[in-house]
Amino acid sequence: MLKTNKMVKILFLPIVFFFLFFLIVPLLYMFWQSLKKGNSITIQNYVEALQSVEIREAFLNSFQVSFVAAVITTCLAFALAYAMHFTTMNQHLKKLVHIGVTLPMLLPTITYGFVLLYTFGNQGILTKLLGQPLVTIYGFNGLLIGYVLYTLPVAFILMQNSMQYIDKRFLLVSMLMHDRPSRRFYHTVFRPMIGTIGGAFILTFILSFTDFGIPASVGGGYKVIATELYQAMLGSIVRFEQGAVISVLMLVPAVLGIVMLSVLDRFNFQYKHVSQSALAVHRLRDNTFTVLSLVCVSVIFIIFSTMFIVPFTKGYPYDFSFTLEHVQNVLAEKNLTRVYMNSLIVAFFTAILGVCIAFVSALLNVRTPLKGRSTLDFASMITNTVPGMVLGLSYLFFFNGSSLKGTFFIIIAYTVVHFFTTPYLMAKNSLQKMDPTWEVTGELLKDSWLQTVIRVILPNIRPTIFQMFSYYFLNAMVTVSGVIFLVSTKTMLVSTRIKELQHFAKYTDIFVLSIFILCTNLIVKLGCDYITTNKEKFKEM
Amino acid sequence: MMKKSTVMMFGTVSSAIVLAACGGAEADTKDQVIIYSNADDEAIEVMQTTLDKKGYEGKYIIQSFGTSELGGKMMAEGKDIEADVVTMASYFIESAQTSKSMFVELSSDLKPLDGGSTYALPILGNVGSIFINTDLLAQKGLPVPQTIKDLTKPEYKDLVSFPNILDSSTGWLLVQAIMSEYGEKEGKQVLADLIKNAGPHIESSGSGPIKKVKTGEVAAGFGLRIQAIDAKNEGLPIDYIDPTEGNFTLTESVAVVDKEGDEALASEIAKVIATEARADLLKQYPVALYEGEQVEEKYVPKYLKKWDTTLTVDLLEKHQTFFKEAQQ
Repeated sequence: MLKTNKMVKILFLPIVFFFLFFLIVPLLYMFWQSLKKGNSITIQNYVEALQSVEIREAFLNSFQVSFVAAVITTCLAFALAYAMHFTTMNQHLKKLVHIGVTLPMLLPTITYGFVLLYTFGNQGILTKLLGQPLVTIYGFNGLLIGYVLYTLPVAFILMQNSMQYIDKRFLLVSMLMHDRPSRRFYHTVFRPMIGTIGGAFILTFILSFTDFGIPASVGGGYKVIATELYQAMLGSIVRFEQGAVISVLMLVPAVLGIVMLSVLDRFNFQYKHVSQSALAVHRLRDNTFTVLSLVCVSVIFIIFSTMFIVPFTKGYPYDFSFTLEHVQNVLAEKNLTRVYMNSLIVAFFTAILGVCIAFVSALLNVRTPLKGRSTLDFASMITNTVPGMVLGLSYLFFFNGSSLKGTFFIIIAYTVVHFFTTPYLMAKNSLQKMDPTWEVTGELLKDSWLQTVIRVILPNIRPTIFQMFSYYFLNAMVTVSGVIFLVSTKTMLVSTRIKELQHFAKYTDIFVLSIFILCTNLIVKLGCDYITTNKEKFKEM
Repeated sequence: MMKKSTVMMFGTVSSAIVLAACGGAEADTKDQVIIYSNADDEAIEVMQTTLDKKGYEGKYIIQSFGTSELGGKMMAEGKDIEADVVTMASYFIESAQTSKSMFVELSSDLKPLDGGSTYALPILGNVGSIFINTDLLAQKGLPVPQTIKDLTKPEYKDLVSFPNILDSSTGWLLVQAIMSEYGEKEGKQVLADLIKNAGPHIESSGSGPIKKVKTGEVAAGFGLRIQAIDAKNEGLPIDYIDPTEGNFTLTESVAVVDKEGDEALASEIAKVIATEARADLLKQYPVALYEGEQVEEKYVPKYLKKWDTTLTVDLLEKHQTFFKEAQQ
């Protein structure tokens, strides 16, 4: 085994400091704030918060709507993933489903709400087609649809990933044994998937529970915990202690969820060798899932199509003639282009800094015997647990009055920390798969550790690096929850600017900006995918 | 050898950090005046065009807020607020000055009608009224409302929109009208019925209701009178109705935040807003605020009324509590 050298320690130090200053200390400070009342330390704030009817109601509402959304999302995601892996559905349709389901990920959640308003509202496109509103979109219904749209991609990707590792030969065996279909389904698909299903459920629940964008746009009079937190911090009467208390309360379900996830982990098992055997054709099954997939994808496309219709019509809903006027107006407004540039700057530097930190963290954790490297796993677990709003708020408390307040750097640091887990795990996975003897070989050839990293490891991990870059960039473009507490006039981002435009009910501008975000994200994503696949192809040759 | 590669690795990591920090530093440069404003977008547009015409282009940034958001910020942060100039409901500026003394003297030879103050200049006045979408009203077979109380009738269920007093000062105009006409007890009932009728259409922005009435989301709304007049002039099926409970008014003012001597440009800009932009603002918000100003007949509401005591944040909070109680 390799010895820890100086270089490794030098790299480890700044990363530890980064997480200390931008994760641990702010959170502890916020916790401290929630216990302060005047100059004394009490739990009075918690008692008051729990006694407040409004907060209790909001908590319950949040719980209710997130629970229902998580049930629906989990079922839908399972069905769609099943259609992808266990039916002989048309290949092109499978591709379409994949694109359609994951498309909403490229947009800020706050946009979903406005899209829903323009689809299901009194003057919505669907309402126009049907003659009357299908459902009242404000409140519970709107939140539910919004949350499902928001969490479906994540749940779907999770399920899809797991299903890849299910051995399809067992289906054949089960069939030869003349199992009933229900028994076959249970043993060959459902049982191996239980861990993932539970995981997807908990994840979607937490995502819905802590999202701010959707309730901000379609919440109406239906109070949820995220909007209560916003009101306490940025509303008419600012109550910092209450804000701190609410965000600590918001942490509770998240922490419980993570605990449950680790319990569920025991249910995950992997087949040693996954063999791909052809599926038997089953008309009824295939047709049912084809219809289901088509319906799901069409609904998503119909809902989001409003985003492309409204900004290009002259005076929705009175004058439907095509115009580029709105787009030109947005382009002509310096404020909006400035905000767009801000978003690009933040997304780009977040991606660069984030990739560096996630890569080095994973490298130290996986490929060095460094003492204390497991703290990095701990950091990744915390970043996965803490909701964006809570992290953003803790920054607001901790950095208030410092020179970092209102800078781009604080937004970038927030985004890097908040989205750390996934890129870190991506890098870890890739690094673990590499031959563990490279460093030793490198040392025998008189290369320093760093040289080995640069000459051998980096070139081998390049595709993953691009995927990490794209993940960070996309999420930095769309995140709203935490940054609403951190932006200042000069660092306003597109996603937070949408919140401001909402105040003036400037929906066309909102849609135009959303289209900007979508296009930017598409370009970056396709670019990164292209580089990745090209490299892989090259390797195969 | 080792050194070279060390430098390389550190180069990449640190340059990213430095670059990012530079981005932050750049945003800190102190050459632009930051204006926080609660004004509607029409008013902000007027301010922007005037300032640009007067050669201040690129020397300022306007950041909009809801009245309550901005109010909360002023009260919580005082002088530490990011803004150099604030345009805001006058009662809020007064209260903030009393409790935080956060504004500097703003001398001018202007003569406001209400006497004015040494630290703020009024820039526009708002009048509240009811407005309706005549098409939708006819389509639903609803009578034309004459009073705010009319809107509490069950046939207007889910067809009324008004601004929330918790977020918007326009919402306060509505509550003032109801309270002065019906008193505490009956007033609370009227408000409760209205809240029930509006359902999801209680807006955080003062300009929310007119937009909903324009798109036909709802048939009637309460908001600024001038917005309805403008919509009608545009040829939309909109009409405005002065409620017999009264057209109440509010003024908004501009003030300069105390930045320990660094207020020269901010004061200049504030004065340009109060003087040069005033002509266009008067056109948008036809309420005379200074001696010698005149407005056309049609802009003068039928039942112009004023709350009988001075408007303060304390009074607003009292009315907000009243609204919350009606919500229960």
